[in-house]
Amino acid sequence: MWRVGIDVGGTFTDLFAWEEKTGRQVTAKVLTTKQDRSIAVLESIEKAGIEISDISYLMHGTTTATNALIERSYPDAAFITTEGFRDTIEIGRQHRQHLYDPYQTKPKPIIKRRHRHTVPERTNVRGETERPLDVAAAREVAERIKAAGIPSVAIGFINAYASGRHEEQMRDILRECCPDIHIVLSSETRPIFREHGRFVTTAVRAACMPVMVKYMDDLENRLEASGFTGKLLILKSSGGVMSAEAARQHPEDMLESGPAGGVAYAGYLTEQSGFERILHTDVGGTSFDVSIVEHGKGLITRDHELEWEVPIVVPMLDIHSVGSGGGSIGWVDAGGSLRVGPKSAGSEPGPVCYGRGGTQPTITDANLLLGRLDPTLNGKIDLDVGAAEKAMEKLAAEIGLSTLATAEGMIRIGCEYMAQAVKKVLVARGRDPRDFVYASFGGAGALAACFVARSMNIPKVIVPPHAGVASAFGATVMDLRQDIEQFYYAPVKDADLDRVNAILNDLEARARKELIQQGFADEAGIEIIRSAQMRYVGQSYEVDTPLPNGVLTAGHLPGIEETFHGVHLQEFGVSSDDFAPAFVSFSVTAIGRMDDPPPVELHYSEDDRAAIKGQRDVYFDGEWTRCDVYEGEALTTHHRIAGPAIIEYDHACTVLPPRTHAHVNAMGALVIDIEI
Amino acid sequence: MSQHSDIDIDPITFEVMRSIFEFASDRMATVLQRSSFSPILADMLDFSNAIYDADLQLLSQAANCPVHLAAMKFSAEEAVKGVGPQNVHEGDVLVLNDPYRGGTHINDITFTKPIFYKGQLIGYGVSRGHWMDLGGGGAGGQAFSTHIAAEGLRLPPLKIYSGGRLNEDLLAIILNNSRTPHFIKGDVQAHLGALLAAEQELQRACDRYGVDVVQAAMKKIQAYTEKMVRESIRTIPNGTYEAEDYADTDGITQSRVKVKVRLEIGDDSIKVDFTGTDPICQGAINSPKANTMSAALYSLQFFLAPDAPQNQGLFKPIEVILPEGCWLNATWPAPTIGCTTLTASKITSAIWQALAKAIPERVTGSTCADANWFVASCVDDQGRADVFSDLPAGGWGGTPYSDGMNVTMDPLGNCMNMAAETAELFFPIAYEAFELRQDSAGAGRHRGGLGSIFKVRFFGGGELGMETSRTLAGSPGAAGGLASAVQRSSHIRADGTSQVIGGIDDDGNWQNPLLASHKFGPGETFMFESTGGGGWGDPRQRAVQDVLEDVLDEYVSIDAAKALYGVVIDPATLTVDEAATAALRG
Repeated sequence: MWRVGIDVGGTFTDLFAWEEKTGRQVTAKVLTTKQDRSIAVLESIEKAGIEISDISYLMHGTTTATNALIERSYPDAAFITTEGFRDTIEIGRQHRQHLYDPYQTKPKPIIKRRHRHTVPERTNVRGETERPLDVAAAREVAERIKAAGIPSVAIGFINAYASGRHEEQMRDILRECCPDIHIVLSSETRPIFREHGRFVTTAVRAACMPVMVKYMDDLENRLEASGFTGKLLILKSSGGVMSAEAARQHPEDMLESGPAGGVAYAGYLTEQSGFERILHTDVGGTSFDVSIVEHGKGLITRDHELEWEVPIVVPMLDIHSVGSGGGSIGWVDAGGSLRVGPKSAGSEPGPVCYGRGGTQPTITDANLLLGRLDPTLNGKIDLDVGAAEKAMEKLAAEIGLSTLATAEGMIRIGCEYMAQAVKKVLVARGRDPRDFVYASFGGAGALAACFVARSMNIPKVIVPPHAGVASAFGATVMDLRQDIEQFYYAPVKDADLDRVNAILNDLEARARKELIQQGFADEAGIEIIRSAQMRYVGQSYEVDTPLPNGVLTAGHLPGIEETFHGVHLQEFGVSSDDFAPAFVSFSVTAIGRMDDPPPVELHYSEDDRAAIKGQRDVYFDGEWTRCDVYEGEALTTHHRIAGPAIIEYDHACTVLPPRTHAHVNAMGALVIDIEI
Repeated sequence: MSQHSDIDIDPITFEVMRSIFEFASDRMATVLQRSSFSPILADMLDFSNAIYDADLQLLSQAANCPVHLAAMKFSAEEAVKGVGPQNVHEGDVLVLNDPYRGGTHINDITFTKPIFYKGQLIGYGVSRGHWMDLGGGGAGGQAFSTHIAAEGLRLPPLKIYSGGRLNEDLLAIILNNSRTPHFIKGDVQAHLGALLAAEQELQRACDRYGVDVVQAAMKKIQAYTEKMVRESIRTIPNGTYEAEDYADTDGITQSRVKVKVRLEIGDDSIKVDFTGTDPICQGAINSPKANTMSAALYSLQFFLAPDAPQNQGLFKPIEVILPEGCWLNATWPAPTIGCTTLTASKITSAIWQALAKAIPERVTGSTCADANWFVASCVDDQGRADVFSDLPAGGWGGTPYSDGMNVTMDPLGNCMNMAAETAELFFPIAYEAFELRQDSAGAGRHRGGLGSIFKVRFFGGGELGMETSRTLAGSPGAAGGLASAVQRSSHIRADGTSQVIGGIDDDGNWQNPLLASHKFGPGETFMFESTGGGGWGDPRQRAVQDVLEDVLDEYVSIDAAKALYGVVIDPATLTVDEAATAALRG
């Protein structure tokens, strides 16, 4: 039987699979089928040569929900809220994205204003009814929704995190009137305070639900028709998997479904390689993604924004994206300075050297001119060096440098931007770059990795095998995961511990039940992680504070407070004795462990030169240097490579600048030591 | 100190340094926000951070509050001058908030830290924050009196840290004079954290590239921005363009207070002349020089080189003429609490209206042009008092390309509002509404963004001070666009009856909108209706389909669609009556 990971991206659908009995590994890449993405899923399995009936687990990452949201290509949904708050999901927090742009606009609301309705009702902060739901008004809203033929409705009332009673009452009235529609409550979607995030997340769930139900139906039907008898699991943004049925009900948990696979791979690889803290970076044609992985797990955020002021407040891997990649264009701004990106040549027209109409030099063109990229990309294509040179000459003339100095300058600037982007992510989470190993994923990542790392004083870089199908690989190392949370605000000294224990027990029971429902048989093997979202009284940011398992007693509180001060110091750089710590909410994560793939098989060779496939001149620090070119797939743990050198893989290329040393570790990953 | 400017740095190193300076100020902002304990800094982001060279010329500023853009330089200069340059040493942090010595209003407090590299002064970090309360006759300084002393503790240039050691005496004085002393130690720490981040980044740059290269880059980056700004001025036709705007009142007298601006556009320079502006007024809206300069510069920045690095080069092509004795050049003891919001936004509106005469195809309608900032004290049923603050925004003007943004903080800042559930969890109040106000935007081919309706109910009563304007006339449109609705404040009693307490009431009488300690009883509600932005272009040229969409979404009423846009919509079917529309539109 096979375990199969499939990642459906915007352009390619990637597959990684391993056979449970033999540990044999296969990969495949096919074009994504945009009309019906489930078609490419089947095609990739076929291309990999795997019988569908031989699949035990199919772990699947998809950006279907994210694409539907970004394009607003879902059937109109409706929103029902408390009188006075019809526009919360449109107004947001009233701030703007660009400080000095007078022409900027804000993203369209997830649900149009004409489909947003209000009803008189009010619950107070303690969850008590202050004003009962106006039943007549509620019926009228239900009739209007019915008349408009809306398939999916979100209900979000003020203070519903404290009690969902009024929302449930509204649901019952709506259900009576429209029995066949999807109804989503904010008190069930995410019962935490701050209405904007909760309402938007609820609206997102409602809007995506019809889309995801259809996608899952299509996919399951297709798989079943082809003889699939295994278990289909869907990647969650928090770095775990869930059942297909859970995915239909929780589309808001899938917004980073693709990138989550890459982070999972990074976590797995580095844990196996013995590194505690790594920076996961992924460079594609147009974007550069960064996330922090500690002790094998990606850091989680609850402040993710899908777009400006469109917050998704479920726990998600904290992945940041900036516009910098192989296609980033070099240009001279109005002040006469050389800039790189964020404008990108993308895949169409692509870099100048692709010969598809690009005229502005890109990072890829610069790498080609400096000898860092093979002009045939390993015999796959004939890159047009002459055209790239011409484009670069033009740019060089504008700033008065030589063509080569301009090309090398573009890379230096591009790498500096990436370094600043990484530092911003670290600073925002209170981390020091020097504590990290820099992990480079994606086809273009390892061309730049050593330069970016050096700019941040990071002395170690790791480049994984299978970098081209990282998300699909990552899918196969994920565990079943359920995250749930409940609001309970109290200063720690005033907390009612009976209540806290009851909340934690309830959350834990629900999380366990959910995993079992999703098909995890080994109940005793379920791992439970408990935490409290805590802050200082009067402050507005919470940090995740781990809690011990078992019954909490007054004796635990000093330890919990101490942990909180420590986490706060880490995340924010300060802690305080002047303000009392408070609980804001409690959360439980249940994890059902799945088997990991076995390590790659490495070939052993005693001959240091065996992997060298040739030599070429490469431009570093203003001069041409003759470099060995290694075949990446042929490297073994025996090899020791000193920069400058080039290591070429099937889908990627690693540049070792002068003053670097590389070897392959037991996981098959390339580890590079950099002299700072 | 500029003896190194003759070192030539290559374009690549220059771009790398540009990115380092930008990161340094961004990092200051991140550190301040994440480590501050007071909601106005951590939640509402009312702060700014910047780095300067050794001559106190701006090198880079984080994208926080535009109204702080140029003002911080004056504060830093006065702080260094006041303490004496010879007395400024490593480990010192200077503090100042005096509006007449480089400050703006008392609540904006500025920290300046000299940065040394191997004993040599290489620059300064400057961090400014709006502190919730520094005493005075009204919560948050909103006393609306006629003397600066009513607005709180006025600090001359002093050292809050000396050689790395905290000045406990000074801190004790500040603590004793605030209604919210519990935030102060934490906020001092947060500002210090931001300044240390700036120091670390500049020192690291010197370690890596050498102090000579860093200093040469400091000079070059200013020339670079200056060049970008001058290039952009060349795209504006030479000439003289004038406009006016008004504050509805200074809160003391019944008369409007005028901003008069005359832009003289040269080949690659601009003169901003405020001659003809009204004299210093009695009420709390006077603007000190630092604030006026800042407002003039950030207002132009939107249409000059919005993407240029924020440094001294922005200011060099622009000369500001500020007559002595006018309310935009306040002197002791004129009160100034309203300068950063009410006054700065009127300066912007006047400058944009003048600019619209030069480049109508590029300038947008006026924004709501107010922050509508209020501060309120409130009491719970046990008699415990607390202070909270919010700023229900209005809309932005229609642009040549699109409708204006709904309910978005004025150009002067980029503060966030308070979430209703946050407010209710921590204060004895209930937020009853924050939603879009139909027909509040100026009509236009591209209409303005909408304003809002905001309501807060006091459980145990409270007192509220507020700065606002645009209660006599709405935000002007541009290129044929119409003005928006007027703003107003109301007091809603527990029985549901209401009374206008700021702006034009139902009988057509105008009430002073600058509320000072206005009292609300238990169960009573404050309501504010903000205005939208001005429209851009002739409303009769707005696409009929767009008008219909606006009516379907209830941004625009059926009546307004007909009266202002000439589009007739059948209320029963919600479809366009093509014939009637054609007749109206001609």
